[in-house]
Amino acid sequence: MTNNDPKFEFDKPEMVENIISHYPDKRSAVLPLLHLAQSQEGFISSAVMRTIAQLVEAAPAEIADTVSFYTMLYTEPQGKFNLQVCQTLSCSLNGADELVDHICGEYKINPGETTEDGKFTLTKVECLGACGTAPVVQINNDYHEGLSIESLDKLLDSLE
Amino acid sequence: MSDFKPILTEHIHTENSHTLEFYRSVGGYSALEKVLKTMAPDDVTNEVKASNLRGRGGAGFSAGLKWGFIPKEGDKPKYLVCNADESEPGTFKDRLLMTKVPHQMLEGIIIASYAIQAQLAFVYIRGEFYSEYLILEQMIAEAKEASLLGKNILDSGYDLDVVIHRGAGAYICGEETGLLESLEGKRGWPRIKPPFPAIEGYLKSPTIVNNVETLANVPHIINRGADWFRAIGPEKGPGPKLFCISGRVKKPGVYEEPMGISLQDLIYDRAGGITKDRKLKAVFPGGSSSPILTAEETEDLKMDFSGLASVNSMLGSAGIIVMDETVNMVKACLNVARFYAHESCGQCTPCREGTSWLVKILTRLYDGNGTRRDIEMLLEITDNMGGLADFSLGSFGKTVCPFGEAVSWPVRSFIEKFENEFVACVNIGGAVV
Amino acid sequence: MPLLKIDDREIEVAAGTTVLDAALANDIEIPHYCYHPVLEIVGSCRMCMVEIEGMPKLQVSCNTRIGNALPDRKVDGMYDMVVSTKSDIVKRARENTLEFLLLNHPLDCPVCDQAGECFLQDYSFRYGRAHSRFEDEKRVRPAEDLGAGVVINQNRCIMCTRCVRFTREISGTGELFVQQRGNSTKISILEDKPLDNLLAGNVTDICPVGALLSKDYIHRNRIWNLDRQPSVCQECSVGCNVDIYHKNGKVFRTSARENLDVNGYFICDTGRYSYHDYEAVERVTSPMIRKDKKWQKISWDGAFKEIFEKLGRKKEGDSNNVAGIFSPFHTSEANFMFARLMQNVFKERAVIGTLPLPKEEEKKFPGGFRISGDCSPNWRGLTEVSSYIYEDIFNELKKQKIKLMYALDDGVNRELTQEWKDLLRNLDFLVVQTYAMTPLAERAHLLLPGAAPLEREGTLMNDSGRIQWLRPVIPLKGSSRPDWKIVMEVMNTVGKRELDYSHVNEVLAEMNERIPAYEGVTFFKLGESGMSINEEARES
Repeated sequence: MTNNDPKFEFDKPEMVENIISHYPDKRSAVLPLLHLAQSQEGFISSAVMRTIAQLVEAAPAEIADTVSFYTMLYTEPQGKFNLQVCQTLSCSLNGADELVDHICGEYKINPGETTEDGKFTLTKVECLGACGTAPVVQINNDYHEGLSIESLDKLLDSLE
Repeated sequence: MSDFKPILTEHIHTENSHTLEFYRSVGGYSALEKVLKTMAPDDVTNEVKASNLRGRGGAGFSAGLKWGFIPKEGDKPKYLVCNADESEPGTFKDRLLMTKVPHQMLEGIIIASYAIQAQLAFVYIRGEFYSEYLILEQMIAEAKEASLLGKNILDSGYDLDVVIHRGAGAYICGEETGLLESLEGKRGWPRIKPPFPAIEGYLKSPTIVNNVETLANVPHIINRGADWFRAIGPEKGPGPKLFCISGRVKKPGVYEEPMGISLQDLIYDRAGGITKDRKLKAVFPGGSSSPILTAEETEDLKMDFSGLASVNSMLGSAGIIVMDETVNMVKACLNVARFYAHESCGQCTPCREGTSWLVKILTRLYDGNGTRRDIEMLLEITDNMGGLADFSLGSFGKTVCPFGEAVSWPVRSFIEKFENEFVACVNIGGAVV
Repeated sequence: MPLLKIDDREIEVAAGTTVLDAALANDIEIPHYCYHPVLEIVGSCRMCMVEIEGMPKLQVSCNTRIGNALPDRKVDGMYDMVVSTKSDIVKRARENTLEFLLLNHPLDCPVCDQAGECFLQDYSFRYGRAHSRFEDEKRVRPAEDLGAGVVINQNRCIMCTRCVRFTREISGTGELFVQQRGNSTKISILEDKPLDNLLAGNVTDICPVGALLSKDYIHRNRIWNLDRQPSVCQECSVGCNVDIYHKNGKVFRTSARENLDVNGYFICDTGRYSYHDYEAVERVTSPMIRKDKKWQKISWDGAFKEIFEKLGRKKEGDSNNVAGIFSPFHTSEANFMFARLMQNVFKERAVIGTLPLPKEEEKKFPGGFRISGDCSPNWRGLTEVSSYIYEDIFNELKKQKIKLMYALDDGVNRELTQEWKDLLRNLDFLVVQTYAMTPLAERAHLLLPGAAPLEREGTLMNDSGRIQWLRPVIPLKGSSRPDWKIVMEVMNTVGKRELDYSHVNEVLAEMNERIPAYEGVTFFKLGESGMSINEEARES
C-alpha cells in the first residue's frame, strides 16, 4: 500500500452516512462499510481501507487488522462467481468432498484458485449453517443446497 | 408419542409467515402490547426468570438471571444483542426462525430490550446469511412502519431502535464477547472475563446477548405465563426446543419438540432413520463442540440439559450430527479438528498452537504415518487445551473463551470411544473408509 | 483491606488489586507475557495462571481481582483469597503453556539478541519441560522491517500483542496490527505507514522475547558481556530514567528504566539513540589555546594562568565585566560551582545568564508520555542554584558592551544565530568549557575540556522538580576533567582560594547548606529513582 494508490470513493455517500448513523460510535460501522465497499469493488483494496479508516476515525492499520480476520472479506479480486463449498462434517458426510474434487477436475483449478477466464473461484469454506440440506455451496451471496454433482453441473452451466 | 404441538415453528409451513401481516393475524405482538401496557420492566424479567428459560445458544444459562445482572444504577446506555451468528456445525435452527417467523424473534427482542431498558438493540447475523439478512431488513421496515419500533412504541412512551448487523465470516463471533468486539468493528477476539457483558459489554456499556431461539420463546412466555412454559419438558430447563438433525439420516431438518424428547425418537422417527438403513455408529448431540456419543449411549437418552450431562456430553446448540457405520472416525475427527483450526481466533496460546498441532497429528494418522504415541499425544494436547479426562469436572479454563474446550471435547471423545479405529490407522497404515 | 494468602505469605492488599500485581509488588514471581502494567489486560498468553481456593478452574492472575470476602466466605475464617502459585496443577499448566509457545519458536538462542534477557528462556529454564514433544516442522517466516529502527523476527513472536497495544494505547499512532487469525496470526504494518513514531523503540523493550529487535543493537554484543548503568536521559527536561549498556568505554544500547514518578516505563527514540550523537562529535580532550588562528594544546596550569591573566585583573570601564554563561545542559553541581565563581570571585563584574534556550513544541502522547519542549535536562536545577540570571543574555551583553566571557558549553544540541556569532567574534577573550568542538567552541580563545554527557556525574532536576542522580557511564577522555572541578580550579586560581573538593558529593554537601531545594539531598538518598523537591513527596 502506498500513497500513490488510487483513491476509493463510495458510489452512494448517502448510504455511508445512513450506516454510520445507526451506531452510537463510528467504529462500529466498519463491517457494514466493508460489506458495502466489497459489493462495489469486488474486494477490499488498500484504498478502501484508507477511506473507511478516515470515515470512522481509526488508523488504517486497525481496519487492515479487522479485514484480515474475516473470511468473507477478500483483499484480492475474486472470480465472477465464487463457489464456496462447505466442507464441514455434515456436508462432508453428504458428498461435499466429491463436489470439490469434481469442480477441481472440471475447471482445472485448485481450491483458492480462479479459472483463467475469471469466471469461477473455488473456495473451501467451513460450516455455512445449512447442515440439514447438505451439501451446500454458496455462490456469491446465494446458498444452493442439497446438491449432487449433476445438479451442481446444471447450476454452474446456467451461470452467466 | 406426545401431543406436543410446535410453538416456535407452528406457522413455518404457511405462505408468507415471515410478514408482519401474517404474524399479527396469528396474535403476533400481543405479548409486546401486554408488556408495554401492563408490565414494569422488572415484571418481565421476573416472569422470564420464573419460566426457567435457559439460553438456546449453547451454554444454557438462565435468560432471566442474565437480564437481572444489568445494573439498575448508572447512566450508561444499555444494549441488547440478538446473537444470530449461527455457526456451530450441525446447527441451522435460527436460520429457520429468521426466514419463517422473524417477527416472533423481533417481538422477543423488543420485550427483552424493554426489560433491561435498552434503547438500541442489534441483531448480529452471520455474514453468509444474506437472504436471511434481507428478510430481517424487511422485518425492520415493516415494524417501523407499524410503530413497533422507533419512538414511543405503541404509544407506551418506550423507544427502541433495532439494527441488523452482518458479520463477515468468523465462527468465534458466536461467542458473545467475540461478537461484541466484532460489532465494535474489530477482529472478533473474545474478551477476558470478568467483566461480563452485562456489566461491560458493547462500548463498555451493560449489554445482554441472547440467542435467536431464546428470544423467540419470550413472547410465548409472556402470553401464556411462566407456569405454562415450565410444564413443558423437564423442570430444570423446560420449554419447546428446536432440534437440528443432519448427517446420515433420511430426513434431516429442524424438529421442534419438548425438551427431554428421546434421541432415538428424533433420529428414527422424526428424521426417518439412518441413511440406507445402516447402523448408527456415533452422534454429536449438541453441535460439533459436544463430546460424541456411541450408538449405545444414545439409547434411552433424553435430549435435555441433564440428560446429556448424564452421558458426559451436552445439549449445546442441539445440533445433532449422525454418523453411520460406514463413517471413519479418524476422518470425522480430522474434519472437526480442521474446522476448529480454521476458526481458532489466534488470540490465546493453547488454542492458537494446539488446534493446528492436533490437525498435524490427525492428518499424519489418517495418512498412515502416525504412531501409537501420536494417539497418546492427541489426548495430552486436548487435556492441555481444556478438555479434561473427566468431563464432569468441567474445564480447567485454559483458554480465554470456551473454544479450547469446544475442540478438546470432541477430539478426546472420538479417541476414547473409537480408539480401535485410531490404532487401526497406525497398524494398517491409514484410514479405511 | 483484604487479606491475601499467597503460597506461604500473608499480604494485605487494596481491594481491587489483581493477584499478579500483588505478587509482583511483593517479589513473588508469577511468569507472564501479555500482561504489562500500563497496557490493557487481555489475559491471552495463559502463562500467569494460579490456583485459587474455592474456584473450580485455574485463573489468570492478571485478571483476578482481590476483594473483601463476606465474613462467612473467608478461607480459614480470615483470608479473603488464598492463592497458590506453586501447586502441581499450576506447574503443569505453565509447563503446558510453554510447550505450546515453543512449538513454533525456533531454538536459535545462540544467535538471538534477546538471549540473556528473554522471558521465554527464563521461564523455560524455571518452569518448562526439558524436551519438546513436537515432531513436526516448525512454522518458518521471514523477518520483516517494521520501521527505520525496528525489525521483527516473526518466528520468535509469541503473539502477546504488547507491541500492538502499545501503539494503540500509549503512542496512539496505531501502526502495528494483528494480521490473519488462528495459527496464521502475525504482527504487521501497512507499507505506507511503518513504525516510525517517536516512541517506536519502546516496542523492543516491552517485547518479552526476541521478536522485536532494535536494528541499532542487532548482533552488536551479548547482553551478558555488557555492564548496565542506571542513568538519566539528558535530551529534554523530563529526565527519563534509562539503563545504559556499555563495555570498555563504549555504549551499545539505551533502554527505558521504570520510574513511575517520571517516565513510567518508556523513553522516546531521541533519548534512546542519543548516545550516537555524543559519539559523533569532534571531541575536545585537552586544554587548547588559539594561536595564529590555530589550536595549540597547553597544560591545565597554562590554561588557568591564561584565565587569570585575561579575566582576573580588574580594569576600569564597562568592558571589564565578565559574562558568565551557565548551561542547563550541565549538572546542578557544575552550575553551582559556576555560580559561586561568578558571585564570589567576579562579584560586581559578573554578568550572568544563558544562551537562548532551544525550545521545541511539547509532545504529549495518549498514554500520558511526554517529551518536553525544553530540550535541556536541567533548567530547573540551574535556576535553583543561581536565581538571578538572564535567560537570554544577548541584549545585556550588547548593552554593556561585554568583552570577556566564560561559558559552560551546552554541547551538541546547540546551534548559534548569526547575531550571536557576530557578538562572539567581537569578544576580547572567550573561554569555553566544553567536551566537543561546537559552534561556540570554535569561536573561543581558550578551550577547557569538560566531561561529555555520558561521562558526567552529579544531579539534574527535571521540570517537575525531581532531583535525579546522573551517573557516569563511561570514563573521561584524554585530560578532560569534571566540569565542577574545572570551575573550582578557576575559582582557586583567579580568586586565590583553596577549595579542595575531590568528589562531586562534596559539592552536593555544600549545596545542602546553601540551596534550600537541595537541603538533605545525598546521592545515597537519590538512589535510582530520585527525590522530589516537594517536601510532602519527599517525606512519603
